Amino acid sequence: MRAVQEVHTKWVGKPVERFEDVRFTSGLGTYIDDIELPGMLYGGILMSPYAHAKIKSIDVSDALKDPNVVAVITGKEVKEKTKLVRPRAVRQVEQYVMAVDKAIFVGQPVAAIAVTDRYAVEDALELIRVEYEPLKPVVEIEDALDPNSPRIFEELNSNIIMEDRLIFGDVDGDFRRADVVVRERFRLHRFSSTPLETFGVIASYDPGWGELTVYANDQQPGRSIANLSYMLDIPTNRIRFVIPDVGGGFGIKLIVWPFEVIMSLLSIKTGRPVKWIQTRTEHLTAWTHTPDAMIDVEMALKRDGEILSIKVRDVENDGTFIHTTGLYSMIKFATICGCYKIKSVQFEPVSVVTNKGPVVQNRGVGKPGMIYVLERTVDIAAKALNMDPAEIRFRNFIQPNDFPYTTPSGEVYDSGDYPALLRRALEAVNYQQFRREQAELRAKGRYLGIGISASIEPGTSNIGYYYITRMKEGKEPDFYGADEGASVSVEPDGKVRVVLGSMDIGTGHETVARQVVADVLGVSPNDVYVMPGFDSRTSPYVGYSGTFSNKFHDVDVGAMIGAARLVREKILKIASHLLEISEEDLEISDGRVSVRGIPDKSLTFAQIAAIAYNKVLSLPPGMEPGLRATYVYKSPHCKIPRRDHFNVQVPKSSSVHIAIVEVDVHTGSVKILRYVIVHDCGNMINPKIVEGLIEGATLHGIAAVMMEEFVHNEEGQNVTATFADYLKPSTTESIKYEIYHHTTPSPFTPLGSKPVGEGGAIASMPAVVNAVEDALSPFGVRIRQLPLTPDRVLRLIEEARTKVSK
Amino acid sequence: MKVKVSLRVNGKLYSREVEPRKLLVHFLRDDLKLKGTHIGCDTSNCGACTVLLDGRAVKSCTLFAVQANGHEVTTIEGISVNGQPHPLQDAFRKCFALQCGYCTPGMIMAAYYLLSMNPKPTEDEIRRALSGNLCMCTGYVKIIEAVRMASEIVSKGKR
Ligand code: FES
Ligand code: FES
Repeated sequence: MRAVQEVHTKWVGKPVERFEDVRFTSGLGTYIDDIELPGMLYGGILMSPYAHAKIKSIDVSDALKDPNVVAVITGKEVKEKTKLVRPRAVRQVEQYVMAVDKAIFVGQPVAAIAVTDRYAVEDALELIRVEYEPLKPVVEIEDALDPNSPRIFEELNSNIIMEDRLIFGDVDGDFRRADVVVRERFRLHRFSSTPLETFGVIASYDPGWGELTVYANDQQPGRSIANLSYMLDIPTNRIRFVIPDVGGGFGIKLIVWPFEVIMSLLSIKTGRPVKWIQTRTEHLTAWTHTPDAMIDVEMALKRDGEILSIKVRDVENDGTFIHTTGLYSMIKFATICGCYKIKSVQFEPVSVVTNKGPVVQNRGVGKPGMIYVLERTVDIAAKALNMDPAEIRFRNFIQPNDFPYTTPSGEVYDSGDYPALLRRALEAVNYQQFRREQAELRAKGRYLGIGISASIEPGTSNIGYYYITRMKEGKEPDFYGADEGASVSVEPDGKVRVVLGSMDIGTGHETVARQVVADVLGVSPNDVYVMPGFDSRTSPYVGYSGTFSNKFHDVDVGAMIGAARLVREKILKIASHLLEISEEDLEISDGRVSVRGIPDKSLTFAQIAAIAYNKVLSLPPGMEPGLRATYVYKSPHCKIPRRDHFNVQVPKSSSVHIAIVEVDVHTGSVKILRYVIVHDCGNMINPKIVEGLIEGATLHGIAAVMMEEFVHNEEGQNVTATFADYLKPSTTESIKYEIYHHTTPSPFTPLGSKPVGEGGAIASMPAVVNAVEDALSPFGVRIRQLPLTPDRVLRLIEEARTKVSK
Repeated sequence: MKVKVSLRVNGKLYSREVEPRKLLVHFLRDDLKLKGTHIGCDTSNCGACTVLLDGRAVKSCTLFAVQANGHEVTTIEGISVNGQPHPLQDAFRKCFALQCGYCTPGMIMAAYYLLSMNPKPTEDEIRRALSGNLCMCTGYVKIIEAVRMASEIVSKGKR
């Protein structure tokens, strides 16, 4: 791919209004539940009410007598007709998309039905009689680590499903050389970005064609097609996969596919389309969360603040659904150094199985957790060394002239200027003056605090790294990823059509693709139509196509540029042939090819398309008719991952967040007074879309540390399965952000752009928590557990006070 | 057992036989095929289903269709003015106040009600009026901006 300068940027970089918003603001979006097919049935899923229970028997006879019920399936049938759920980071254990003999979490599918009417679903589900024998649940990480805890997967020796240790550099030596070692244990709780639209699937099997069509609000069609094919033994050329408008994803919709399998079974069985729309309660109960985690960190430093080494033992409660087990730890490791030059690292990823529900790659996956731990530890280290938290960061930043920079484990950083970000942010908050005011207000009994966090935001995953632990046993990755496809055509009337391998999930794909393709081809974005959603019949998908991993700015954009260039080259060749002028003397603008200096001598795209599709005998000799091209772009910066050297993600955005908070020490409530973000995502393709993603993501992180938490009781029941109990921020909790951009273009991506989407959620968690801890520093409070609800804040103050008085 | 409901939706009169337990939101979506009103929860916490009932914003998942019998309902499909987008629809687009768009119809209807009662709300009033509507994507900053932008136009009676 040629460099950025070569794309003429008339539209790229502009805050072009989103074309898709015309339909969304009119109520004309087409989301999964808006689709109706003739003869469609409604699917329902009976979920296990127990966290851990033997299924002794299932009696569906009453359900089958209900005139509304067309079909019922249970785990037994699922086991006969499908295959085991495939793990990626861990070894295979026996698990199907439905519980068979044993349920291992509340909300696990136990049976499924297809009925004639939406309102008959719940009535019919009540008619299925399941006899359970409850078993002792394993709920918390400590329970799972106890060798005497009841085993959840019989074939494992314990409830630890993954355990590994990776060491890069001279960790022991660096710890010996250290003047100070900081040790801490942090806990992460379960939360979720909870897209406003729940999961939805329509499966429709056509026995005549032998074709299965699945409509779903799925973020990763490439992998889901492969999973459906494998599970149902239908070749991929007989699977049509369609994704309509998607009501938010954030990674949560990477796990819709188990339900696609179940609904497909029902459709095959009934010969009719079956629609299933998840209820909010089903969604919040178990499908799905971030894992709770217990993270031990040790950081070795010199007296002057230099960080020599870091050791992290990361225990993740993510073993319940093996397809996603181990993914959080693995990506944490890639972020372990954050913005800092650290000489050596040790990482011990551990995954445990409990009877809490599945997890999936929520916005940023392990990155928010890792940066949280790192940035908290850096603050604590600064305190131990009696240094300012800004100063210790400046002391350790990777410097602008270090790029491309490679961490001890092989993670490559493309570009950035971290000191500039922090300087700008400190200026914006007027740091020194704030410190003075803070001291004055403290004397008056007001507790303000400031929290800094510096963070990378990696994008474009080389996802073969999922297999790092299994490589010990010689298992090679089944995929690497880091690629995407796109098709571009100038249609017979001269208008442009773009089909992407990935789809919009609120991310502005349609608009950005119009901007990019318009610039490459030399047309107006108004003349470019980007097919909404995804349809495997036309979408040029690859093994891991979809919208995830912050990859759009890189490989998706590369694919559309690649395809548009092929079409452009063809247009120039045809024009050159017809006008009898060499290609170098031609230029394109506004959908017209003209001879440089002689604007009258020109051909419109419509005229050229008429030749290319209709009057094909007038084409240059040997040229294939048509103006259509497909291009798959793969990041040239990914290498096959090895255990001794692996680069998990490619381009890295960065940001510094500074939060200023006030804590009311009488009520425990925390108010964010100011929030400054200095952000570097390279060249922005659409700055307004970027800004929206930063704001939305930042609120996710803030809410995660301030209010959101899935709570499970001793029985393993999620007691926060509604939005009345699982609190989300609304307009009254939301805040304003002061956003500044500092751009260092990426040399690794086609347009010099860098990832955006996850970053706000990564950097905000430690910024807010560092600020609260700073506010409460007169009490000596140390925050180890989240979220910072008023009662927890009060408890922390209380505990700190009693400790002092003892 | 089905009962008859007759109501006016976006100015048009509809009569249908429905099950008494059918929710208004399902009636609008499934019976009248007005799919712009969305569903985001099952406990009346999210506001995705917000419509106007006799001019007042209501969550249409909290009402049975039969409760709307004889009343007047306005949905997102019914707020354009002479075929032109309502100032709120324009402002949401201009301010980038949506990402996935799933909350947008409910959000716009809640804002529509606010502006009908209070054409020039303060930022605080906007925040309070929209606090029953969740948006998971935007962080709300641009939504509040959009409502303010629309209020400028609505309050001047430009449309
Ligand atoms: S659907 Fe959530 S409030 Fe009505
Ligand atoms: S735009 Fe996605 S929920 Fe509001």
